[in-house]
Amino acid sequence: MKYYLEVNGRERLVELRERLGELSVTVDGEPVELAYERIDEEGQLLVLSGGRSYGVSIEGDTDQIGITIAGHLYDVRIEDEREHAAHAAEREASRGGGRVTSVMPGVVVEVLVARGAEVAAGQPLLVLEAMKMQNEIAAPAAGVVQEVFVEQGSAVGAGAPLVQLGPPPESEDS
Amino acid sequence: MFKRILIANRGEIALRVIRTAREMGIECVTVFSEFDRRALHTRMGHIAIPLGGELPGESYLVGEKILRAAKETGAEAIHPGYGFLSENAGFARAVTEAGLTWIGPPPDAIEVMGDKIESRRAMQAAGVPLVPGQTDPAADAEAAVAAAREVGLPVALKAAAGGGGKGIRIVRELGEVESAFRTASGEAQNAFGDGRLYVERYIDQPRHVEIQVMFDQHGNGIHFGERECSIQRRHQKLVEECPAVVIDAELRERMGEVALRAGRAVGYVGAGTVEFLYSGGEFFFLEMNTRLQVEHPITEMVTGVDLVREQLLAASGEALRLAQEDVRFQGHAIEVRINAEDVPSGFLPATGTVRNLRLPAGPWVRVDSGLYNGLEVGLAYDPLLAKVIVWGPDRGVAIARMRRALEELNVGGVRTSAPAAIAVLDHEAFQGGEYDTHLLESLDLSSPRGREEDLAAALAAVHRFHGARRRGMGPEAGDRAGWLARSREGLSDHVRRAGRAGGRA
Repeated sequence: MKYYLEVNGRERLVELRERLGELSVTVDGEPVELAYERIDEEGQLLVLSGGRSYGVSIEGDTDQIGITIAGHLYDVRIEDEREHAAHAAEREASRGGGRVTSVMPGVVVEVLVARGAEVAAGQPLLVLEAMKMQNEIAAPAAGVVQEVFVEQGSAVGAGAPLVQLGPPPESEDS
Repeated sequence: MFKRILIANRGEIALRVIRTAREMGIECVTVFSEFDRRALHTRMGHIAIPLGGELPGESYLVGEKILRAAKETGAEAIHPGYGFLSENAGFARAVTEAGLTWIGPPPDAIEVMGDKIESRRAMQAAGVPLVPGQTDPAADAEAAVAAAREVGLPVALKAAAGGGGKGIRIVRELGEVESAFRTASGEAQNAFGDGRLYVERYIDQPRHVEIQVMFDQHGNGIHFGERECSIQRRHQKLVEECPAVVIDAELRERMGEVALRAGRAVGYVGAGTVEFLYSGGEFFFLEMNTRLQVEHPITEMVTGVDLVREQLLAASGEALRLAQEDVRFQGHAIEVRINAEDVPSGFLPATGTVRNLRLPAGPWVRVDSGLYNGLEVGLAYDPLLAKVIVWGPDRGVAIARMRRALEELNVGGVRTSAPAAIAVLDHEAFQGGEYDTHLLESLDLSSPRGREEDLAAALAAVHRFHGARRRGMGPEAGDRAGWLARSREGLSDHVRRAGRAGGRA
């Protein structure tokens, strides 16, 4: 069983093989020695690995998992082979910025771009207010605004789509 | 002394006050919003009165509801904690007019210190040093530009009604003053209903040093030394320490005297904090917080004085028992605020339900916390969940102790600011004591720094593997609690790999 992971933003490939009731684990091809003991129903584990013990906390659902080891949080996105193949096409399509989503719930104070606008990387797209703070949401990369999903005054939840960016047009000078 | 007081607050500060009150034999009335019906403070008082409403504006901020609760329960005094109504002069007045005691300074003192412009006037008259700037707010963007030219760049645009770091803009170029004024003024209008801003010089490499003061009703006042709160982001403090590295005994005395002068100028009573900007041996008055502060425990750890007890004694009319020379400073204390914030995404507010909670403990570790498993963290309330406070005989031990404590801490279900605090504690500039209010903002915290990524990857995959297997057995089995509970076929609680010796660390 292959899993495609992003651990704190870095890609990892983990393979699990089940044999005679035991799992063998490799991370990027390297075997990882692992034994664990469940402490409670909440997700606290004792993990033994490489002769060291770790008090680990694990939480989350299928594709987003949070793991805390010694005060540090590891953010894990995880896909199995089928999901990985399905998402590959999406990733390709979103080059040039892709979909900008809201990272937090809030209210759109101002929309600064319109459909069809060319934007530079880092250019503010809209102003989102949360916790009485106004936050500028900037374009992650240069591109063209294909769609604006919100308007002034829209209340958005975490993960809500804000703006769809497409690839930038070919430069006319070149 | 009072027999029964009402605590008009929630979270860790409500518990903080309850604890001292209980130790003094005082009964506590707590109040709670519908959102907080299971909260720790609701459980820990002697009497709990529902205020109704989910939001602060429907509960903790409604003075009439609080007063009614006090009347119904026979509470003699109201402790406001910090935030909410603590710096609301109108409410303080209403409390007094209702024949109750306000555990805080006189309403007039709150009013003067709460208005940035009025307080500057009062402080100027009292001979307290001020940062060069306007005494009156700028009428419009053009006036702000003119003022910036006069005061000298860089300048800070500050909301007249602001506080807690909200509504402040720093501008380094004259050409940017106009547009910054418009955004900041709009923000202030939205947040406080008052768009007035004033312009002042912005001090580079500043350190935030504040003095804790305490006055009784008989004209006596003492100070409890300083706290350094330079580790902040958007003017929201994250790590505080006591004493400050840059303040020696002589400067402490001087700053303490100035702080007492500031308090006397407004007829202060009770606990208060005078905030200063410190830069290169000079210090300038910033503002006075007319209440107990979030970071008061580090002063308690170093002086051995329970500030809430002193507050209650002063409010009940007793004279200060301590003289200035009785206040001694021993060792070093650090506080870290545990906020519901997602550090890598730029400290955006985090929400969720707290689970899998593990609080630090051990020698000289104090945790002031409103956390419990099942606590829902939403956006309507302050993000401060808990404070970890440590003491050590010297600064080095205190830093190591705090680091140890934060490694023990686990708050599941909600992201917290703890990783940012660890990054600060590990930073050379912090360890060397050579830092200013820009340190935290200068750190790149966008990518987490843990070194156990391989282990995390392996665990996540195993977690997912078991989850998928459970879901295959039925929809109910996908419940995220107890993900290992039903792992079968001899996997039980173990996954083993007889890999090569050592494996990967």
